[in-house]
Amino acid sequence: MVKTQINNSDFPNFVLLTGTANEPLAMEIAKLLKSPINNPVSVFADGEIRIKIAPNLRRRHVFIIQPTCAPVNDHIVELLLMIDAAKRASSSEVIVIMPYFGYSRQDRKEMPRVPISSAVIASMIAHVGADRILTLDIHSEQEEGFIQQPWDNVYASYALAPAIKKKKLENLVVVSPDKGGVSRATFYQGLLGASELAIVYKERDLSVNNKSDALAMVGNVKGKNVLLVDDMIDAGGTIVHAADYLKEKGAKRIFACATHGLFSGDALTKIAKSALEKVIVTDSVKHRTEVVKNPKIEIVSVAPLLAEAIKRIETGDSISSLILR
Amino acid sequence: MLIFSGSSNKFLAQKIANNLGKKISPVEIFVFPDGEKRITLQEKVVGETVFLVQSTNTPSDTNYMELFLMVDALKRSGAEFVKLVMPYMGYQRQDHIFRDGEGVSLEVMAKILESIGISEVFAFDLHSIKIPEIFTIPTYNLSALPVFAKKIKEEFSGKEPVLVSPDMGGIRRIKEISEMLNISYVTIVKDRDLNTGSICDSQLNGEVNGLQAIIVDDMIATGDTMVYATDLLLKNGATNVVVFATHAVLAGKANKILQESKIEKVFVADTIEIPEDKKFAKLEILSVAEIAAKALKA
Repeated sequence: MVKTQINNSDFPNFVLLTGTANEPLAMEIAKLLKSPINNPVSVFADGEIRIKIAPNLRRRHVFIIQPTCAPVNDHIVELLLMIDAAKRASSSEVIVIMPYFGYSRQDRKEMPRVPISSAVIASMIAHVGADRILTLDIHSEQEEGFIQQPWDNVYASYALAPAIKKKKLENLVVVSPDKGGVSRATFYQGLLGASELAIVYKERDLSVNNKSDALAMVGNVKGKNVLLVDDMIDAGGTIVHAADYLKEKGAKRIFACATHGLFSGDALTKIAKSALEKVIVTDSVKHRTEVVKNPKIEIVSVAPLLAEAIKRIETGDSISSLILR
Repeated sequence: MLIFSGSSNKFLAQKIANNLGKKISPVEIFVFPDGEKRITLQEKVVGETVFLVQSTNTPSDTNYMELFLMVDALKRSGAEFVKLVMPYMGYQRQDHIFRDGEGVSLEVMAKILESIGISEVFAFDLHSIKIPEIFTIPTYNLSALPVFAKKIKEEFSGKEPVLVSPDMGGIRRIKEISEMLNISYVTIVKDRDLNTGSICDSQLNGEVNGLQAIIVDDMIATGDTMVYATDLLLKNGATNVVVFATHAVLAGKANKILQESKIEKVFVADTIEIPEDKKFAKLEILSVAEIAAKALKA
C-alpha cells in the first residue's frame, strides 16, 4: 500500500476545488492531502449556476473534483463553468478529477442518427480549458481518445479487491455479468486468486432501453461462491438477473462488486428481492441515505486512491504504477 | 430545410413550423432512470439545413445538454448546417466577470455551441446588445417589440400611455419601442446592493402623473423589479400599470407575486414555455412565431 499522506510544503502550488456532485468524497481526499478545499458553486433564483472561486489561483495547479453523477446535466455544466472560472483566474493547469463520468455508456453509434454523447462531454471539457482528466474505471478506455489532452484512468480494484479479500471467500468463481466485462472479470480473478471464471451471456434488445435478460453462461458455479464484477450498477437489471440466474445454476453465496453504484429507479428493491448477499461499491458517486443504510450494500472509499493519484500528478510520478496487476 | 425541436419549447417550435408551412421532424428523447438522455433522430438529415428550436430556460443545464447532444446527432448524421433558434438564451445574464473568481458562463455556452457545429444563432431580446459579439458565428438578436407595439396600439393608445423602463439597462429598448409607437417614455434609476442583489434605492426620471404606465423589459425573473417599479409609478400618480416583458422566466413564486401585485396585466412572449401551474389570471401570452419564421426564411 502506498502512503497517501504528503507534506504540503513539498508542492504548495495546488488548489483543490469541488462542485456539489460528491462533497463527502472531495473532503476525504482533501483530508488525506492535508489541503483546504473550496466549493465555488451557488445557484441563482432561476436555477442557473454561478461560480465564484475564492482562493488565489494564479500560477497554481487546480484540481477540480466532480463526478458527473445524477443530476448529470447540472453536474456537467457545473464542471464546465468551474473549469472556465479557474482558467480565467490565471491558474497554470486545470486538472479534472472525474471519479464517475456521466454519459460514458453512450460511447459509440450503436444505431444510426444518435450522438456520441460521451465524446461530446469529453470534448466540451477539453474545449473549455481542462489540461488533464483523471477518471476511475471509465466505461470504455477508448474514450480517452476523444480528446488530445492527457487522460489517466485508474481502477477501483485498488479499493475493492482488499475489501473482497477480507471476506475470505473460498472456492470463488469470478463472474462477468455480460460479454463486455470479461477482461475486467479476468483481471479480478487474478487479483483475488480466484480459481475459476464464468461468463453470463445476455442479449440486450436495443430498441428497449435498460432492459436486459440473462440467457446462458459459460463456466460452472455449482456449489461455489461467486463474485459478479461490473463497472457500474445503474437500474440493477443486469446484475440482479445474473445473480438470480447463478442461483438457479447452483451457486452458493453470491456477491457483486462494481465501481459505480448508481442504484437508479427501483434498483434497491430489485437487489433486496434478489439472490445477492452483498453488493460492494465505491463512493465514486454521492450515495443517497437509503443506499448508505441498505444492509445489502457495502461502500468502500476510493479517496485514498484518488488522493494518491492527485499527489502523483502533482509530483510528476507514475500513475500507471498505481494500478495493481 | 428541416425543423427539429428540443423538449423545452415544442409549442413555439410548432407555431414557427406552421408559419413556414413545415412539419417538425421527429426525434426520440428518452430519459434513462439515472437522468441521462438518449437522442435518436427519426429522419434522414444528410445534406440538409436544419433549424433546431430550443430555449435554454429552467432547467437550463438539462436544456443545454439536450441541445448539445441533438446538435452532435445532427452533425454526425450528415446535416450540412445546423442553425439554432434559441428564443430564450440561458446564462445570458452571466455575460461578463462581475467579481473576481467568476467565469463567463455565457461564453462557455457560446464556445461549446460553436465547437459542436452550430453555424448560426437566432435569439430574442438578449439582455445585452453585446451578446452577439461573444459568438464568432452570425448571431441575430430578434425582438418581440413589434408584437408588443401592436398590442399597445390596439389596447392602450386611447388611454394617455407612457412607456417605462424599469432600469437604465433597458434604455435602448424603451427608446426603440417609443419610436415605434410615438409615445414618450420615462426611466427608473435603480441601485442594487451588489452583495444581496436587492434593490436599495430608486428614482423616476420623467412624469407619469395621470398617465397609464406601460413597463417594458426583456424579462421577468423573480418579479421583484416589476412590483417595485409599479409601486413607484403609482406613488408618482400613474393611473394604472401594465407590464410587457419578452421572457417569462418566472423564478420562484414570481407568478404569485405578480398576480397579487397592483399590476393590472402582464404580457409576455412565448419564448419560454410557461408550465400550466405557473400561469396566472393577469397573464397574457403573445407569440413571436411569425417574427422567428420571417427571420428563418430570410
